[in-house]
Amino acid sequence: MFKSLKSITFGALAVTLMAGVAHADITVYTAGPQGLIDKLSAGFTKETGVKVNVFQATTGKVMARIEAEASNPVVDVLISASWDTATDFAKRGWLVSYTSPNAAQVPDFLKTDTAVAQGISALGIAWNTKSGTPKPAEWTDLTKPEYKDLVNIPDPAQSGSSFELTAALAGQDDFKLFKDLKDNGAIIAGANAEALNPVLQGAKAAVFGAVDYITLNAKEKGEAIDVIFPESGTVIAPRPAMILNWSKNQDEAKKFIDYMLSDEGQKLVADQMLMPARTDIPANRPLISDLKLLKYDTAAVYGKRKETLKQVTDTFGGK
Amino acid sequence: MRTNDSSGAAPAAWLAIAGLTVIVGVPFIAVVLQGIFPNLGQGSFAGPFSSLVATLFDSALVGMAGNTILLGSCVVLASALVAVPLGVFRALYRIPLAPLWDVLLLVPFMIPPYIATLGWIMTLQPRGYLQQIAGFNLAPFLFSLFGMTMVMAFNTFPVVYFAVSRTVEAVGARYADVGRVFGASPARAFWRITLPLSAPGLVASLMLVFAAAIEEYGTPAALGRRAGFQVLVTGIDLRISDWPIDLPGAAILSILLVVMSLLTFLLQRWILARRSYQTVGGKPAAKDKRPLGAMKVPVMIAFAVVAFLATGVPLLSILFTALSRTISGGLGLDNISAENFLSVFNNSAGALGALLNSFSLGIGTALITGLIGVLAAYTVVKTKIRGRVAIDTMTILPNALPGIVVAVGLILAWNMPWLPATPYNTAFILLLAYCCILLPQPVRYTTAAFQQIGDSLEAAARVFGASGVTAFRRILLPLVFPSLASAMLLVFALASRELVASVVVAPVGMQTIATFIWRQFEQGSIGLGMAMAFIAILITTLLPLLLLTLLRRSGLVAE
Repeated sequence: MFKSLKSITFGALAVTLMAGVAHADITVYTAGPQGLIDKLSAGFTKETGVKVNVFQATTGKVMARIEAEASNPVVDVLISASWDTATDFAKRGWLVSYTSPNAAQVPDFLKTDTAVAQGISALGIAWNTKSGTPKPAEWTDLTKPEYKDLVNIPDPAQSGSSFELTAALAGQDDFKLFKDLKDNGAIIAGANAEALNPVLQGAKAAVFGAVDYITLNAKEKGEAIDVIFPESGTVIAPRPAMILNWSKNQDEAKKFIDYMLSDEGQKLVADQMLMPARTDIPANRPLISDLKLLKYDTAAVYGKRKETLKQVTDTFGGK
Repeated sequence: MRTNDSSGAAPAAWLAIAGLTVIVGVPFIAVVLQGIFPNLGQGSFAGPFSSLVATLFDSALVGMAGNTILLGSCVVLASALVAVPLGVFRALYRIPLAPLWDVLLLVPFMIPPYIATLGWIMTLQPRGYLQQIAGFNLAPFLFSLFGMTMVMAFNTFPVVYFAVSRTVEAVGARYADVGRVFGASPARAFWRITLPLSAPGLVASLMLVFAAAIEEYGTPAALGRRAGFQVLVTGIDLRISDWPIDLPGAAILSILLVVMSLLTFLLQRWILARRSYQTVGGKPAAKDKRPLGAMKVPVMIAFAVVAFLATGVPLLSILFTALSRTISGGLGLDNISAENFLSVFNNSAGALGALLNSFSLGIGTALITGLIGVLAAYTVVKTKIRGRVAIDTMTILPNALPGIVVAVGLILAWNMPWLPATPYNTAFILLLAYCCILLPQPVRYTTAAFQQIGDSLEAAARVFGASGVTAFRRILLPLVFPSLASAMLLVFALASRELVASVVVAPVGMQTIATFIWRQFEQGSIGLGMAMAFIAILITTLLPLLLLTLLRRSGLVAE
């Protein structure tokens, strides 16, 4: 009697648990904007009937969760804000090879066997137009006396894209630019949003190396802020989407990648003020072809990550 | 007598142990194991202790540990300086508008520390609200150890204020009056009689402040980094959010933090164990308070200044920001807009769902921690059961575990593939996380209350034939209920806005108040985040007050 009761309970429990699986929902972890993933999931569910569970946080928090879950992972699709993640996960053998038919219009440098860009942001100077400072045109302008004590730099240890810009620019002149910035009173100020907020209020005049789409969205809302992409060159931060090899819903996950790269999906990306990964989708903002990109060796840059960060710390003093 | 005692106490002890094991033991052991076995997350026990050496011999460690203790001590000192005088005056004298001051000094509890910090930054930084109003700024002052201490102390001093005002009130003037009769001066009677007898509440609250200060993330992250001041919690966060993730390193730093907290706790036990603090006997204490007399004006000014700095400044800053059309537009009539508040009520980005989630979780957390807390405190203070020190220790552990570590511990523990059922990826994992983080609150409050109840009261009930359970329910529980109720309301408020653990452990697709606000900040919508913060602060302040009023009216809680 007791035994059969027990088995009924376990049976019911198993059915409940299986019910969750039978729907073949997919789970997406994203370091991208919440608004974008909400719209992408809604559109995808409408088209395919597959439900999307979303976990959204910063790249670091997403990674901490994946690392802690490693013995029993639940994530099917991961969208990171740093291309480095895609390289690292591929090296660990954690990714599924998949090339979406919709990726044909994605340039080669934005896709690999195992990852494809969802969209791209670029780094620029975010400048408060009411700050009373002259409009900067170049990175080096921010070392001028007019910007004394008025420049924030996003922490390269916390922002992957800020790290790439730092490494690329520091590689050109062996940290001279950063030393000049430091001498002019520039400070390292938290991650991207933390560096931008004081510029919005006017405590600082400019962010050196701001992620552009957040700033462009703020401008859209009427903030007195503008983004300048220096002629001498900048870096871009493609956001890789990848399917994890432990996913039990790989077919649905592939459909999600297809949808993300469809006309509709890429338009949603463009609406968020990100550059679409596909070159044939229009956007109301500067595109890769409008920007000059700094040339640097990504692999070498990431190989020297620790040293570069240490040099930044030494330059800007204590931490 | 001894056997009778335990017959009533054993079920309480067992319930407390079971609850504590699930809520505190499981994630804590997971963290310790992670520190020892670096590859635990992958389900492997390879390479034990390999991370220990690298982490412990990191040259930055001494600096981080030293900064942590320094910051904690500064915050304790500042909180005590602000709160003890106010609390003593509130307890012993008739203060005009006393209930109003209580409410105003309660609000800082309800303001999430990271929001308060952001409010201070937006007020004091160059071109901040202060400069827009008064023409000068205090930025150099804010971004320093001094600024950090100030912001954190304004956030934590209510713990001390309420503990001191309550315990000193309970001790009452009666004992001091006896001293006076025997010739002591008023000051001497206070220093030698009232203050020492109020020690349990005071020491317990100062310890809570220390634990909260060394565990706090938001303020050191926002202000400390600018001041080049790194503490253990920011070090842990860096290890956990900077790819490649260093979980073992974070676990080891967390254990260090736990050791610090345990030492504080042992110190407190040592201080309190040296004498008896029982002041609640069978006789009613006189409630008569003295008039302030000539001290009226300075005392009122002190209350007003503290209330304005701790509650007024952050609240106004939050409100200004929420009502601004754009941040760059600054303060001005043409820049005022209710748009952000409307967005919250229009459920933009899932705001209403987040409110509902947080409040349900807050209520659940308050009920569970209240139950386990009162049982654990009773077992520790009023019984002689072996292992009660272990219970006491378990209730203090979470004080030192940063939210992010509790979160990682919970994932490690509850995401094992062989578990037949798991709370992971459901709302229950958040409930477990909040219960773990907030359990010390009801335990500390009710422990202090139990310590002041004379053993004779329970014994008298037993002599007249009450069972252990009846004596607990009819005599002890009503006496500790005021402390328990306020602790549970505090837990509700704190759980509703918990940030760091929520960000990591929230089940997919679920938002809470804090994660909602955090996301808005991350995406540059400061105004919307602040509107949500303001609404949450309003509700977490008004709801407990309403509840307390109802309880008072029904006679469950005395004035």
